Order: sequence, then C-alpha cells, then structure tokens
Amino acid sequence: MKKESRGRPKVQATVVAQAKTGEKKAGGKGTESKRAGEKTEAAKAGRQETPVAAGTAAQKAGEKKSPRPIWSGSVSIGLVNVPVKVYPMTRDLSVHFHLLHRKDGQPLKYERVCTRDGAVVPWEETVKGYEVRKNEFIVLEKEELRAALPESDSRIRVDRFVHYLSLDPVYFDNSFILVPDGVPDAYSLLLTVCTELGAAGVGHFTMRTKEYPAVVHAYHGALVLTTLRYANEVLDPSGFEELAALPAPAGKQLDLAKKIITDLSGDLDITEYHDTYRDRVLAIIEKKRAGETIRVEKPKAAEVKELMTALEETVAKLGKK
Amino acid sequence: MKKEGKKDGGDRGKAPLTRVGFTHLPKVLYPEAGITKLQVVKYFITIAPRMLPFLEGRPAVLTRFPDGVGEKGFYEKDAPMGTPDWVETWDHWSETAERVVHFIVCNDLDTLLWIANLDAIEIHMILAPVKTPGHPDLLFIDLDPEPPATTADAARIALLVRDRLAAQGIRIYVKTSGKRGFHLVVPLVPGLAYTEVRGFVHAMGRELARENALVASESPGPSNPGKVLVDYAQNSPGRTMVAPYSLRATPRATVSAPVTWPEMEKGINPGDLHIQNVPGREDPWEGILRHRQKLPGGEKGRGKQG
Repeated sequence: MKKESRGRPKVQATVVAQAKTGEKKAGGKGTESKRAGEKTEAAKAGRQETPVAAGTAAQKAGEKKSPRPIWSGSVSIGLVNVPVKVYPMTRDLSVHFHLLHRKDGQPLKYERVCTRDGAVVPWEETVKGYEVRKNEFIVLEKEELRAALPESDSRIRVDRFVHYLSLDPVYFDNSFILVPDGVPDAYSLLLTVCTELGAAGVGHFTMRTKEYPAVVHAYHGALVLTTLRYANEVLDPSGFEELAALPAPAGKQLDLAKKIITDLSGDLDITEYHDTYRDRVLAIIEKKRAGETIRVEKPKAAEVKELMTALEETVAKLGKK
Repeated sequence: MKKEGKKDGGDRGKAPLTRVGFTHLPKVLYPEAGITKLQVVKYFITIAPRMLPFLEGRPAVLTRFPDGVGEKGFYEKDAPMGTPDWVETWDHWSETAERVVHFIVCNDLDTLLWIANLDAIEIHMILAPVKTPGHPDLLFIDLDPEPPATTADAARIALLVRDRLAAQGIRIYVKTSGKRGFHLVVPLVPGLAYTEVRGFVHAMGRELARENALVASESPGPSNPGKVLVDYAQNSPGRTMVAPYSLRATPRATVSAPVTWPEMEKGINPGDLHIQNVPGREDPWEGILRHRQKLPGGEKGRGKQG
C-alpha cells in the first residue's frame, strides 16, 4: 500500500558509487535498474533500510510496538464518532541489505539518470509520466494529480455491519490496530458490541493519497481496522480454462481422500511456521557480526590509558632488541 | 572503512603508539573467568616481545571469538574485509579451499594488536615461512593424550622424545598446548621439505611405539584410546600449530606456554598456565630461533615418507 502507481518512469534509477566518479553509466534495461526503481519508491515512503546489522535492528523492532500512530481520526457510524489512533499491526521482517561496492565496501546510492545521455537529473526537473504506448508518455503535473486525490477527512466511515465470519478473507489486505484517542467510552462500547455480536463495520477511509474499503472488527481486546482489496484487484480463478471441465472423482477415491483429510485434521498454530531463509541469513549475519562490520566506537579514556602504559613498555622492549 | 588507519589511542601531541584503534574493550571474552577484551588486549601487548619472533614472516590463521569463548568462534585464514593496508598479507593457493587465500602475516606489533582487536583469541601459524612455503623451519610434534591417557602420560612421552633427540644431538623445546597436551618444537635450518621432516618424526614415533606401549605413532582412526599420539602428520603444508604464547579458548584463558624441561620433570598442568600468570614467568623460548638445528642428515630418519 505504500507504493503509488507503478507507471514506468522515463527517468530510470541507476546504481552509482557514492564517491563521485567522472563517468556515469547509463542505466540498462536490466533487472538492476528495475530493482533500483523499487528501492527509491520504498525510500520515498519513508521506510529506508535499517543500518549495518539489519538483523539486529529487525529483532529490536520485534520487541517493541510501534511508538507512533501512522494516522489518527475517528470511526464514524452515522452521527457517532469514535476517535482513534491507528498503529500498524503487521510488519515486514525480511532481511534488508545495503548494496556496497565490493572493492572497498563503500555504500552505493541511487541516482536518477537520463536514459539518453546518462546525466543525473535533479528532483526538481522530474515530472510524472504515464506510458500510453511503448516510449510514449502522457505527462501529469502535480496539480492535476492533486486535484484528483480523494478528500481525506480523517474518518473511517462505517456504512453497515456484517458478521465478521461472513467476510471473504481473500479481500483482506493489511491490518491496523485502533487505539482510543482521548475519551475511551465510545471505543469501549463499540468494541464490546462488536465482540458480543461478532460484528464487523464495513466502510471506507482515505489514508495519505489512497482510498480503501475497510472493515473494523474486534480482535484480542482491540478494534482492528483491516483494509480490503478492491473487487478488480482480486482475480476470479474460474477464468482458468483448466478449471472449466474438471472430472468428478470416483466414489472410492473420494472416501479415501476424505479419510486422509480427517486424519490430518487439526488446528492451525501459525507459530509452527518459520521463515527458514531469514533465520539462516540472520545466523550468518550473527556469525559475521562484530568481526567484519567496523564500527567506530570511542573507547573509554581510562581503559586506553591502561593499554597505552603497557604499550609504552612493550614498544621500549621491542626497540631495545 | 579504514577506521583502523587513523591515528587513535595516542596521547595528544605525541606520535601515536599504535595505528590500531581499540574497540569494545569492556566486552567480556571469557565469561567464566570474567576476563574482558581489555585484559586480552593488554595480554597481547605484554606478551608481544616474546610472541612476535615466532609469528614474523609466516602465515597466521586466526580463531576469532567476537561473542566470547562461550559462543562458537570461527576460524579465519583470510584477511577479513576491512584489513588495513599496512597489514601484510600473503596470497597463497590453498589446496583444501581450492582458491587463493590471503593469509595475514604478523610481522609487527601493530598487526598483532590489530589481531587482538579482532577478538582473535587463538593465533595459529604455519610451520613454513612465506619465503619458503614448501620448507618448514620448525619441526613440530603434537603430543595429545587420548583419554584415559593423561597429561602426565603426555609429559612422560615428551621427556622420552627429548632424550631420544638429545642422543642425536638435537635440542627440542616444549610448550603446553593450553589444553591437555604438549607441543614439542625444533627450530630448523631451512631447507628440508615437509616430507622429510614428517618422515623423521614418523620414524621416531614408530621406534617409540615399539618400545613404549603408551605411544601411538599412527593415527588411522579418530582415536587411540589410552595412548599418546606422536602426531607426525602435523608437519604438512597448510597444517598449523597454535603459536607460542597464544591464548586458548578455554574457560580459564589458558595459554600455550613455553615451559622448561625441569618443570616437565616435576610435572606440570597446562591448565595452570593462563593469562594472569604467564606474563610474569621467565621466557624459556627466548632466542631459540637464533639456534637453528639440522636433523641428522641423509641416513635413516630422513627421506622416509610419512
């Protein structure tokens, strides 16, 4: 949801060494420049990679809940308003890396370079273009785009209530924790009612520049806002030819299959599942940590003095030899 | 990335004593003994004059313990990323790694201190100098008692080896391994091939094994229970010996400490020689590299393949 439109920009982002090298490479059409493009988007959204030891930073993030609300407003049901602060409920724990220059370990940065002459283009000289045909763009000015923005009125408007279990999880996009902002009475009332009835308020709201359908429901003693995907963002599998004429299974096989499923039945414990790639990458990082990442750290004066006294003796001894 | 190159740690005004900027000094490297990196670095500084002559001019291999000896360390043959340009390295094709390894060559105090700052508790060294990679200038016998054989058993065999070599006019020196056994070393006049040194040790080991039931001269399987292995195979390219005065990754911060033969006769426990008391001892190995020896030439011992 952080990403805006994915129109291919005319100005490509390319990896360049931070140290100014006279010549700059024009960005190829390869995957590298594409990745670079995504990176800049992520950077714009204000979520830059964590420094040096990515793993440790990620682990730290795991220990604390998010300190700042990303949005505040109110859940409005008819004339009733429930003031809330919105916190993210999910997080991305994948390991992020910095791209370094192999020869000296210098971090690289991204620059927008012109695909014609390879010259770096400053932000002020950029404009958004929508590719209508190959290499043919319609330019959209900031003002034009701004005029089309949905109006943000800091409200999560609930249009109606449905039973939470009647919702199709295929539409669930991302979840946020709602926390009472100020007087908690209305919040508590809405939470209690939703819990007791299993009700979820369906509506829509605007965050930043995007408008979302969403549901507000009770979860673990809190109201949770889950944004939904639009109908046209979810594909209907029945469109696949292979699914059109499936043969009916034979009775015996069906019984056997049912038995297998019954035997394997149980409850889902999501904690049984681990991102083993991430675990392994973090293990490697742990091993390499401290050793290969050079951090500047001012040692304490007393300690250094102790060492220097010993060192003076040693230097003198070595000198005598 | 080259933080190390900057002057640091020098008192204002004066030329800095070292190019190494020490980091994480309060970190505990020996949790059981409560020994910090500060103490480890100080040990390296104090012991440097005794240790450097042995490290000079030969490839060093480090075992680093950035999280202390309680956690797994890692063996590092290659100079790590961020190695300052004043650290000498030696590029050598490694058969085992099947690539060129950039060995660290610890020629001076600064390099040793830089190694200390890498939490490289153990320094191991190759027996041949970089100048003559095929020709070791140290003969090395690793006496490792296989339980139930004891350290005292290993000491007994060490004395046997000493006497045998003394009869041939060779003076051998002894240090504790820092663990259970002993390391015996003869500084050699360079020129012998690894196979020749290995053959010499092997032949002697076989003779000793014939005469003494405690001695094993071959190491076919993983162990020779109850025996003391006279390990000739260590005299091979790429094999290493823990450097004299190197710390070991043991709970008590033991040192692979040079000892005297009278001490060996009295009985010595390698566990009693550690970071605290070794710097205060005499150096039984002082100057031993200035008296290089030849192995009894040409005849029996030599030339036999190990």
